[in-house]
Amino acid sequence: MNNIIASFFSASFLFIVIRVGIPLLFASMSAYVASLSGILNIAVEGIMIFGALFGVYFSALSHSAWIGLLGVIVIGTVCSLILAFFTMKMKADAAMSGIALNLFASDISIWLLLIWTGSKGTSASLPSKVLPTINIPIIKDIPILGQIISGHYFLTYVCIALAIFVYILVYKTPFGMHMKACGLDADAALSVGIKVNKVRLISIILSGILAALGGAYLSMGYMPIFSNNMTASRGWIGIAANAVGQGNFLIVILATFVFAIAQGIVNNLALMQLPSELINTIPYLCVMIGLIILSVRNYQKARKNK
Amino acid sequence: MSEAILTLENITKIYPNGTLANKNINIEFEKGEIHSVVGENGAGKSTLMKIIFAIEKQTEGKIIYKGREVSFASSMDAIENGIGMVHQHFMLIPSFTVAQNITLGAEPKKGLFIDKKAVVQKTGELAKQYHFDIDVTSKVADLSVSAKQKVEILKTLYRDAEVIILDEPTAVLTPQETEQLFEQLKIFKEMGHTIVFISHKLNEVKSISDRITVIRDGETKGTFLNKDITMDQLTELIVGRKIETSYESYKKKVKDPQVIFKLEDFSCKAHGIEKVKNLNITIRSGEILGIAGVQGNGQEELIKILTGLEHFQQGRILLNGEAIEHNTIHQRRQAGMSYIPEDRMADGVAQAASVSDNLISTVYNTPELSGKVFLKNKAIVKETGNLIENFSIKVSSQKEKLSSLSGGNIQKVVVAREWNTKPKLMVAEQPTRGIDIGSAEYIHHQLIEMRNQGAGILLVSADLTEVMALSDRLVVMYDGEIVAYFDSLKGVSENQLGYYMLGIEHQSEEEIRRAAQ
Repeated sequence: MNNIIASFFSASFLFIVIRVGIPLLFASMSAYVASLSGILNIAVEGIMIFGALFGVYFSALSHSAWIGLLGVIVIGTVCSLILAFFTMKMKADAAMSGIALNLFASDISIWLLLIWTGSKGTSASLPSKVLPTINIPIIKDIPILGQIISGHYFLTYVCIALAIFVYILVYKTPFGMHMKACGLDADAALSVGIKVNKVRLISIILSGILAALGGAYLSMGYMPIFSNNMTASRGWIGIAANAVGQGNFLIVILATFVFAIAQGIVNNLALMQLPSELINTIPYLCVMIGLIILSVRNYQKARKNK
Repeated sequence: MSEAILTLENITKIYPNGTLANKNINIEFEKGEIHSVVGENGAGKSTLMKIIFAIEKQTEGKIIYKGREVSFASSMDAIENGIGMVHQHFMLIPSFTVAQNITLGAEPKKGLFIDKKAVVQKTGELAKQYHFDIDVTSKVADLSVSAKQKVEILKTLYRDAEVIILDEPTAVLTPQETEQLFEQLKIFKEMGHTIVFISHKLNEVKSISDRITVIRDGETKGTFLNKDITMDQLTELIVGRKIETSYESYKKKVKDPQVIFKLEDFSCKAHGIEKVKNLNITIRSGEILGIAGVQGNGQEELIKILTGLEHFQQGRILLNGEAIEHNTIHQRRQAGMSYIPEDRMADGVAQAASVSDNLISTVYNTPELSGKVFLKNKAIVKETGNLIENFSIKVSSQKEKLSSLSGGNIQKVVVAREWNTKPKLMVAEQPTRGIDIGSAEYIHHQLIEMRNQGAGILLVSADLTEVMALSDRLVVMYDGEIVAYFDSLKGVSENQLGYYMLGIEHQSEEEIRRAAQ
């Protein structure tokens, strides 16, 4: 038992938290940039599945992980353009379009997998490539810190860079200001000459790319193959983390890593003789608790304002 | 005089559905003047402003701006050319600061990033330059309505507006705030800005304008120098006929008046503060009891509890001799209470529903309109049609979305709906606030008609002219108490009431007690 507790305070535990947290962070950033500019993107999960599947497929076709990654970015963009077409151009309900894309992704991915590999379960028979693992020179030799932040997958560092990019974009640039304005009051934004549709289109494309990269992280690093339902609701957890943050990016990141720690705990506890089904519910319980705290807070705020 | 900055020549606007909104309109706005455009709601003022601001395109006619014909591609184009508009509904983002709202869409930049220092500094200087007393770093959500309006005006100034169009700017302001706004407008005028002031409040138009253009039924009825035209002449031009200021001649005596409504020792608190103290009122059939008072002196709390929107606290409420204080809203309505709420958009109507749905919402479950399971569609169409006709509500169809109607017509829908339940007690809270003269007069007549048919009416209004014109008896509320009671309004002047409303004077206990008799 003591060993288990000790394991939570080790460098390797933090390493695991980052490892399991990165796909969640991709997902929550995806939800964040879309919702900030006033678009509901609940298709994060579906786009992640596509990202994961096509990353594997393109890299196998081209024998190059990098071309595979490029394909992932393209597929993320295509998915978001489809969403944008339905919600912005055809004025379909955003929730409906999102659900449709999610359902489509989860089923079509199995079908495509069957066509490409002959298996409904995994892409093990495809010679897909994996993105490299990066050992940061100098830092990797620093005790503890090196163990925690060095030796992650390539996309881990991309994700961190993108997080910094999103932060600067949202809080330091006019474009970020316009995104917020579009999300808070599109009419007000329009009245001062902000091109609301353009801002939203850019945001949704960014959102799609982030989600697709999250998928690629899973199938081109975390695991070397695509397997059925490998996203395991990470997209939804990202959406929940974004909801907890209520427009504040740092809180979104914080919430994401609370969920990541829960996931890390699961990974550690899995070594014990506990029923794994029960342990696996921990991250989802965390999400529920997070959402409950959020709604209680909102309720109190609403009462106070009354 | 001085040169014209903006000229409208023969502007005609026909909407695709065939509505003729503007017909051959000619107006010349001169540089550095305050020019009012007045007219009833639906007269075509808003359409005209939308045309200037390129939200709508005119069917015919020319706009000449600074000496050359222009055709703005979008509002943005108009803004860039120096025309600014302060909309009736504010276009502000509450969670942004004043400075952020002002600069939004045209932020000062430092390289790729927003120059946050410059945002605050520039807007601060702008506010100072135009004598606006406003902290640019405060959040818009924390501002009062009048301060929000200042932010809207600053937004246009930040974009170097030379012509500023203000659409019904005083609708949301208190008299003091209105006065402050007018001072501000005079400063703009001195600085060479042209102010286009859209309004239907004639006393305000008279007090601020250099020139006045009247629009009725989409046509200009002339542009006048303010000093050359009287209030009465203006009214007549706007409405197209003479308007009555007294309704005495329409009031009929009701036979055998009964006590319909009684408030006994009514008190209530909100947030621990006593809002209404020991109110005693009686209303009989066939009379209108007015409650005059500056807003925020307990009227709102009283009405909310009376109509069942908020929980009852203390005292007794009797309708037809029965205590109703613990009844649900539905039970109160069944007992014969009707309610015209102050904020029609929030409490009065379902904006997204159709005109028909709104009109039948008080009676949809009566046997005439509903069977055991299904609504009777034919009967509903007939009922709606009757109401629309009787209350002359301007709609294109029964199924039209309510939110597309003008304010006056929406209020008529509310009044028609409440009238339709044949109430014994009608609670009318600011029944004509923010609507045009014609509709207001119409609603006044409907209230008097209800009174003549034996309903008791409790009229709460901050508009003194209105309470004085309609009420048979009148109480004045100040700080949650009745401070004056008049059993007849003969010989009572507005000034006299003003002293009571401001709490300067106070009648004796005995005089006030008569309100309960």
